[in-house]
Amino acid sequence: MTEASAGSKETESRGHFSELLKVEGKLALREPTALVMGIGVPIVLLVVFGLIGMASPGDVPGTSYTVIELYVPTIMVIGFIFLGMDVLPMTMVRYREIGWLRRVSVTPAPPSRLLAAQLIVNLALALAGILIVISGSELIFGAALDVGIPYFVLSIVLSIAVIFSFGLLIAALVPSQSVANGVGGGLTFLLLFLAGLWVPPATVGGPLATIMYYSPSGAAAQALLYSVFNSAPPYTAIVTMTVYALVFTFLATRYFRWE
Amino acid sequence: MNHPEASSPLEGSHQGLEPVVTVQHLVKRYGDFAAVDDVSFSIKEGEIFGIIGPNGAGKTTTVECISGLRVPDSGSISVYGYSPGKDRNRIRQFVGVQLQESQLPPRLKVGEAVRLFASFYPNPLDPNELLETLGINKVEDSGFKKLSGGQKQRLSIALALVGNPKVAILDELTSGLDPEARRETWALIEHIRDRGVTVILVTHFMDEAERLCDRLALINHGKLVVLDTPEAIAAMAGGNRVRFVPSKPVDDRVLHSIPGVNQIERKERYITVSGTGDLAASVINSLSKIGVSVSEIEARSGNLDDAFVKLTREASDVSGALTR
Repeated sequence: MTEASAGSKETESRGHFSELLKVEGKLALREPTALVMGIGVPIVLLVVFGLIGMASPGDVPGTSYTVIELYVPTIMVIGFIFLGMDVLPMTMVRYREIGWLRRVSVTPAPPSRLLAAQLIVNLALALAGILIVISGSELIFGAALDVGIPYFVLSIVLSIAVIFSFGLLIAALVPSQSVANGVGGGLTFLLLFLAGLWVPPATVGGPLATIMYYSPSGAAAQALLYSVFNSAPPYTAIVTMTVYALVFTFLATRYFRWE
Repeated sequence: MNHPEASSPLEGSHQGLEPVVTVQHLVKRYGDFAAVDDVSFSIKEGEIFGIIGPNGAGKTTTVECISGLRVPDSGSISVYGYSPGKDRNRIRQFVGVQLQESQLPPRLKVGEAVRLFASFYPNPLDPNELLETLGINKVEDSGFKKLSGGQKQRLSIALALVGNPKVAILDELTSGLDPEARRETWALIEHIRDRGVTVILVTHFMDEAERLCDRLALINHGKLVVLDTPEAIAAMAGGNRVRFVPSKPVDDRVLHSIPGVNQIERKERYITVSGTGDLAASVINSLSKIGVSVSEIEARSGNLDDAFVKLTREASDVSGALTR
């Protein structure tokens, strides 16, 4: 009997993973934060910059893009930042703090499945945000994008990887929810700035632009800007994001605690 | 050699009750502090085994080692022949655990939680039946944060049992429950045992231990103080007491000559004797022989509370004496 169960191990683990995913998905929808952060914020920013763009048509001085075109990548990255730096670490730290991870760890399901389910749920929200921002900017606010699919997919994958792994590193290092709130909030603000929420790097120039381009969120916004106009992202942005993602992932797995 | 039954310690007095959990010389240190210091016991199949002791005695650490949550510094543990350290994955399939102070995500619903946990195990119980047995089917659609203390505990029991475990470890199950909810929870634990599940119950409530447990391990300062049935441990408190009013004055010498009497206390017209055996009967018999009748008899057998206090105090006296 024990031998027979070895054969069905694969189906068992798939069974419990899909159940976990379903439950985590429902929880994310019940908890308004994830929806507001991942989809609400991008919609609001889309409308705000769309209206600004309509009020001042034409290219932004110093660039060949309109306001909404210049901000489409930044808005997408901002959605990733809120999900990856706030929702994801807060959820994991809360699960650890209330003993939920510990509780799951005494069942046959490894608690890492819980983390995987959380990642997938946040990823799904991020993808929904991307669809809304791209289609909304084109259909409603007249952005003339020319999305180059291979470049775009590469840029999206790396952007999400770098920001989500940064969030997991926070979840690994902070001891409690209140610290997660403080640290996550502070870093979120920094990443929003570096992604160009207040001033796009394309318009600032000089050393500040360089700093932005070599930051996790600035590199992401830069790569996405190229890819939505069907150009190859600068290799510096690709390398920057890859290095950050690898370092963050390594440190997060090294220091993550389940209890 | 002439007594083959004696050479098989596994069988003991309970025939057919094999030890399913064996803990030998368990040691667990946190830094310099030995939370569990050379504890050994074995638990038979189908019994309710209680682990009692004062706060911080090492009860939780002991069961955490059995469930594989903590790795012992030395000693060995076997659960149905598997080691919680090495065969962790195997053990998790048939050991159900209820953790002290572990919560669920606030918006997770009762039914969802039980079904989710059922999906973790190869041969789970039917979640609907379990919810009904535990009396939480009516709150199936309520989120965890909306539940009362008693409902949370029932859910916690449900999660420990839904995997159809052979061994259930329940840690401080009834802390924070009102008396009625506690009684209901006790009935549930007996119900679990009747289904053939071996139950390891960690508690600091003596009434709970006395009522539920077949055998008790009293742990203090990380050491096993005593391991016996609740009745036997209760008897260690100096046993029984009888209080009565004699029809005429009785001398202390006379009272001391009554079989079983160890101590005498007088208060107003009452005499209280304590000792061992059937004290009330011997008091009545002995005194009637010298023409003294007794009235207002009140007999009390030794209880676990007294034994607990006495045994834990003795243990600290001993360690105090050793360091002196």
